[in-house]
Amino acid sequence: MFLAFALITLGGAFALLIQRNAVQAGLCMMLSFFGMAGLFLLLANPVAAALQIIVYSGAITILFLFVVMLLQSHREEPSAHPRYIQKILSAALVIILALGAIKLVQSSKTLADIQAASPASDLITLEKLGERLFTDHLVALEAIGLLLLSAMIAAVVLIKKEA
Amino acid sequence: MSDFFTSLGVYIPIIWMLVKILAVFVGVMSLSAVLTWAERKGAALIQDRIGPNRAKIIGNIRLFGIFHLMGDGFKLIFKEDLVPLHVTRGLFWIAPLLAFVPAMMGFAIVPFGQSFEWHGHVLHMSVIDPGNGMGMLYPMAIASLAVYGILTASWASNNKWSMLSGMRGTANMISYEISFSLAVIAIFLQMGAYDPHEIIAAQSSMWNVVRQPLGFLLFFVCAFAETNRLPFDFAEGESEIVAGFLTEFSGMKLGFLWLSEYVHMVTVSALMVTLYFGGWQIPFVANPGPLLSFIAFALKLLFFCWMFIWVRWTLPRFRYDQLMFIGWKILLPIGFANLLFYAWLINKGVV
Repeated sequence: MFLAFALITLGGAFALLIQRNAVQAGLCMMLSFFGMAGLFLLLANPVAAALQIIVYSGAITILFLFVVMLLQSHREEPSAHPRYIQKILSAALVIILALGAIKLVQSSKTLADIQAASPASDLITLEKLGERLFTDHLVALEAIGLLLLSAMIAAVVLIKKEA
Repeated sequence: MSDFFTSLGVYIPIIWMLVKILAVFVGVMSLSAVLTWAERKGAALIQDRIGPNRAKIIGNIRLFGIFHLMGDGFKLIFKEDLVPLHVTRGLFWIAPLLAFVPAMMGFAIVPFGQSFEWHGHVLHMSVIDPGNGMGMLYPMAIASLAVYGILTASWASNNKWSMLSGMRGTANMISYEISFSLAVIAIFLQMGAYDPHEIIAAQSSMWNVVRQPLGFLLFFVCAFAETNRLPFDFAEGESEIVAGFLTEFSGMKLGFLWLSEYVHMVTVSALMVTLYFGGWQIPFVANPGPLLSFIAFALKLLFFCWMFIWVRWTLPRFRYDQLMFIGWKILLPIGFANLLFYAWLINKGVV
């Protein structure tokens, strides 16, 4: 099961990168998010899986696609020069960063803790999530609320000027 | 016979699961198919016509034209499957499935009858058993995926009408999804639960439609927008943009896109029954048992499916700016007010 969902996630992400068409790339992103929701389910966290689909697949990707369709710019413009050096450099950079990230995760203390602990048997429910959010992470939650509010007001202000 | 069932032992849950999946799939599919007939007949009734009544089988059996259903099915399957040259092929093929699958999947969480004990196993009448931790978040997640069907169909068609329809449909659905969720959250708040089985159990004394009439109204309006039914059928809008995202489709692909609308209708009606009308419960009957409870659920479901048809042939389509006005300036504030009001009531200990 893990392999299937991981393959969906990675395949979607990879297709997203090589896809030249913006709308199809968006659909690949949806696939990737879907696989990620499956991974959350395997981690006994159905709430995160549901929220992943509601927020990322159902809202954010849709908004991307909406904007892409609105702008009618479906195709990536071909570059004027082949740019070989940049391609090789970026590939090397990606490999180095990926290896570094894997090494970092493997040497982290949290991973050892998780492996030491027994596999999660109790589901994370909406009640538990709410409790955690409003006790342990209250300040962060309020800060995010303020941040989103200010972003929303800023968006309204920007649009008002245009009209 | 009884020994045989007992000997099945541990396999009973697995067999029951298969039975449930098959029953729900076949049930919802056939109900949706019948609804296409009901729609035509209902339209005729409301418009004071006779409607489809000519199809007959075995000599002269007509049965109010219900065999038009089979005729439609056969026609769609055997029609030439035309794929226009200018479409994006892969997505053009996937689009009907992207519309159909989410509509179908949403029903999986809905309890269509009372759970019962049978040979030592508690069998639940919903494809996804309770206690899964996802509860009513699941249909909301699946409903949010329904947009992809329209979006993909319209974009893959590579046609201006289709594209316009895709934009309108997407804007329509994502605008109303927020109010939709707010109505559902108010239910979570008052019930203190989000599993459909628990929500239904909590409605044994009083249906939620009595407790939260405003929330129901909100849910009801948004349900029409979510299923793209009139007065919110901006994706189709046949008098304005030909047939919208359906324009380029033919044969069974068109059939699937049509059918998915009806499947969606059934699913949303089922959610409405579960959240606001006590699910399988019968008023003043404590334990109706599996059969009676299923009948009660089916009757309520049919009523709301009929409601969808009724409204479609009674109300005209909104104008696009009216749609946005209603969605963002009326329903959304009502949704928030409703939620805050119940939060306040709960804080005061009234409910």
